Amino acid sequence: MATVNTLIYLIIYPGLLFIFLYSTFVEWYDRKLYARLQNRMGPTHTGPSGLLQPIADFFKLMAKEDITPERADKTMFAALPPFGLAIVSTAMLLLPVWNYSLEQSSLTSFNGDIIVLLYLLSLPTFIFFLAGWSSTNLFSTIGGARVLTMLFGYEVPLFLAVLSPAVLADSWRLAEIAAFYRQQPALALVNLLGFIIALICVQAKLERTPFDIPHAETEIVGGTFTEYSGKKLAVFRLMLDVEMVVAAGLIATVFLGGFPGGPILGLINFIIKTLLVVFFLSLIRATTSRIRVDQVVSFAWKYLAPLAVLQLLIVIIVKGLIS
Amino acid sequence: MNFQIPIGPQHPALKEPIGLRITVEGEIIRDADIRLGYNHRGIEKLAEQKTWIQNVYLTERICGICSHSHTTCYVQGVEKLMELETPKRGLYIRMLISELERIHSHLLWLGVAGHEAGFDSFFMYVWRDREIVMDILETISGNRVHYAINTIGGVRRDLDELQVKRILDSLEVLRRRSQYYLNLGTTEPSFVARLARVGYLSREDALSLCAVGPTLRASGVPMDVRKDDPYAAYDEVPFEVCTAGTCDVLGRTVVRIKELFQSYNIIEYLMKNLPTGPIAVRAPRRAKPNEVVSRYEAPRGENLHYIKSNGSDKPERLKVRAPTLGNYAATIKMLKNGFIADVPLIFAAIDPCICCAERAVALIDARTGQEKIMSLKSLKELSLKVSPTTTRKREIEWPL
Amino acid sequence: MNDQFLIDKARENLKEKIVEITNPARRRIFLEVGLDDLLASVSWLKNDLGFTHLSTISGVDLGETFEVIYHFANNYCCLNIRVKIPRDNPLLPSICELIPGAILYEREIKEMFGLTVQNIPDGRPLLLPDDWPAGNYPLRKDWKYERPPEVIPGGEK
Repeated sequence: MATVNTLIYLIIYPGLLFIFLYSTFVEWYDRKLYARLQNRMGPTHTGPSGLLQPIADFFKLMAKEDITPERADKTMFAALPPFGLAIVSTAMLLLPVWNYSLEQSSLTSFNGDIIVLLYLLSLPTFIFFLAGWSSTNLFSTIGGARVLTMLFGYEVPLFLAVLSPAVLADSWRLAEIAAFYRQQPALALVNLLGFIIALICVQAKLERTPFDIPHAETEIVGGTFTEYSGKKLAVFRLMLDVEMVVAAGLIATVFLGGFPGGPILGLINFIIKTLLVVFFLSLIRATTSRIRVDQVVSFAWKYLAPLAVLQLLIVIIVKGLIS
Repeated sequence: MNFQIPIGPQHPALKEPIGLRITVEGEIIRDADIRLGYNHRGIEKLAEQKTWIQNVYLTERICGICSHSHTTCYVQGVEKLMELETPKRGLYIRMLISELERIHSHLLWLGVAGHEAGFDSFFMYVWRDREIVMDILETISGNRVHYAINTIGGVRRDLDELQVKRILDSLEVLRRRSQYYLNLGTTEPSFVARLARVGYLSREDALSLCAVGPTLRASGVPMDVRKDDPYAAYDEVPFEVCTAGTCDVLGRTVVRIKELFQSYNIIEYLMKNLPTGPIAVRAPRRAKPNEVVSRYEAPRGENLHYIKSNGSDKPERLKVRAPTLGNYAATIKMLKNGFIADVPLIFAAIDPCICCAERAVALIDARTGQEKIMSLKSLKELSLKVSPTTTRKREIEWPL
Repeated sequence: MNDQFLIDKARENLKEKIVEITNPARRRIFLEVGLDDLLASVSWLKNDLGFTHLSTISGVDLGETFEVIYHFANNYCCLNIRVKIPRDNPLLPSICELIPGAILYEREIKEMFGLTVQNIPDGRPLLLPDDWPAGNYPLRKDWKYERPPEVIPGGEK
């Protein structure tokens, strides 16, 4: 039974099949919502309400010509997209969706998995940087430099914001943190500030407006992705979608009480909670304009980081009060 | 370390081809250079071979956005050469179209500014409302872009009661929306952070570099041809010249939105005081030898046509100075010491119309092969210089 | 500051430098000066009368001579300075020292009419392609366009 469960876990839910279908659905949801906020229709053509449009886009890109620049580091250039997709898909397995038990740690749910997950979520940034750098295009290189510059801005506040609920729950295991807040929902309110900070940082991590600086098309053409085309670009786009699902899942686990109820009910929980997070992300995207890279760094260190420290202080004080 | 970035001739921030070479140090621009000529059609030379009336349609095709500006400027000059008295109603309709064109051009610019700053929601909203103006223009002239309403001696299409009512009704909607955009454009924090103190052009620089239009007015110089040198019936219409003192992209945005309100007022006045009578007079085929300087306030600034006749049915010389050309010198000044991220915004802030600025010369085939090879070659040299052994560039300065 | 006032001022200050001064329409003054007096006239216009805005520079090919017109404007009037340049010795002094914004117009006129602009700060080609054959000045009246044979880059020879 355990083997079957593991296989289902790896391949169907939340494994590859679910990741692919759900991340394309989330992309559709994001696009549609963004379009409606802008008074547009959004995708309408493929499938009911354009539901299949992201999948159609994916296959269209897979069929397109794939060009590698002559001066690029060819091995690196080709290896990065699948590598990035593998990293975020692995991160997805660490979300406590089902097939875990709170008493006993397993390969996908263990003490310290929150750190591993955050680490796995940091890697895509380096993937983007290396992608820009190995393309050797001027615009890609600037994009790559901007990716890293931004990383210094948002990474520390994100870690502080995500780890403070863990401090309150007194555990480094995602499943236990989620279970803690399910038992004491009132305590989740303590982390409200951290929730907002995490949303902003995730927006920056996913390089969406107002933080879409590394691939700001009106400034540096496609940024890191300037030279990418065809299959590699398709995989990169899928990777970004999966990263969005994982990041939304992480926020939902840590701040919104996780996904209880086993495979079926947990799935519904997962969809509702991640869509809620993605809704906020789309809202930020629709209502802001792109800022400059120096403004990101100063904004992160002037406001986000001090607020994240404040959140940590609040958590420590609350923890002292309840124990 | 410095390196050069080619912006254009093909670049997502440019709607038309132009070459900008930008020398950057990290993210900071140290030098900028402009190269025109990708879009030349030889209109000035061609105009010498066409008759007076054919040239109305030729000048209309100088630009897609300010098509009416160029024909009005040209037609005004020719009417002076031919000593024609244009009927009042014709002038009013001509002014109506030119104000509608100003509104649609400024709304277009606002949307583009939003897009360049990555504020796509603003872009979508503004362009949705621009359709109202485009629809009015279509009901009046039958066309959305090249209105073809001007002719020598007047205009070609009359207005009826229903159209007047429709125009007045849509003004209400446009006023309300523009107020919203004024609030949004000047209060949305991330948008203002991108616009304020970007592309600084002091009053002295603006004057000495001969900037025109909203760029000049945003530096606090109240210069507007409609006020200084009233053409058509602008001396009868009450309106104000809008200026801003901030000298940056935010100021240019504010000036343009304020001008929208002035245009609404002008249109309202024109529609309420529309004179009756004919709309055009018959024009002769030839003009006596003479010369004339015709000035016009296009949405982007002062438009100037110098027309010289030699007694035949063709002009001896037609010189067109579109507003964008007057702003290029100022743009280079504004770009220096800015950020790469601000290039599209600063460049967009003059509302560049590259077609307008490039009209002269003979029928050059605007193939850019030579220029492209040049820039590629220089890029290759650059990359070889940086890394003689490997194929990759490594020593690019950190932007921190 | 009306037209008559400007004409009187010009007569008073430029005196014998004026070849001709006309006022064909309201707010339009055409002032013709000798080529050597161009810089002095522009400097007088800028410093004494405050005409800082140069709208553009127009050139006309009159056969034996080229006519170059500097269109200045301020809030009251459009004043045009006209100079005549002989075709066999087309030299024109640059006014960029006085009006920095004139650079693009001077570059344009230099290319189109083949005038030599002296002391121009930046004389690179602006509008014409880099492979434009020398000695071809499109806006001269005797210049005729001949379509060059089409070469497709990278195509068959």
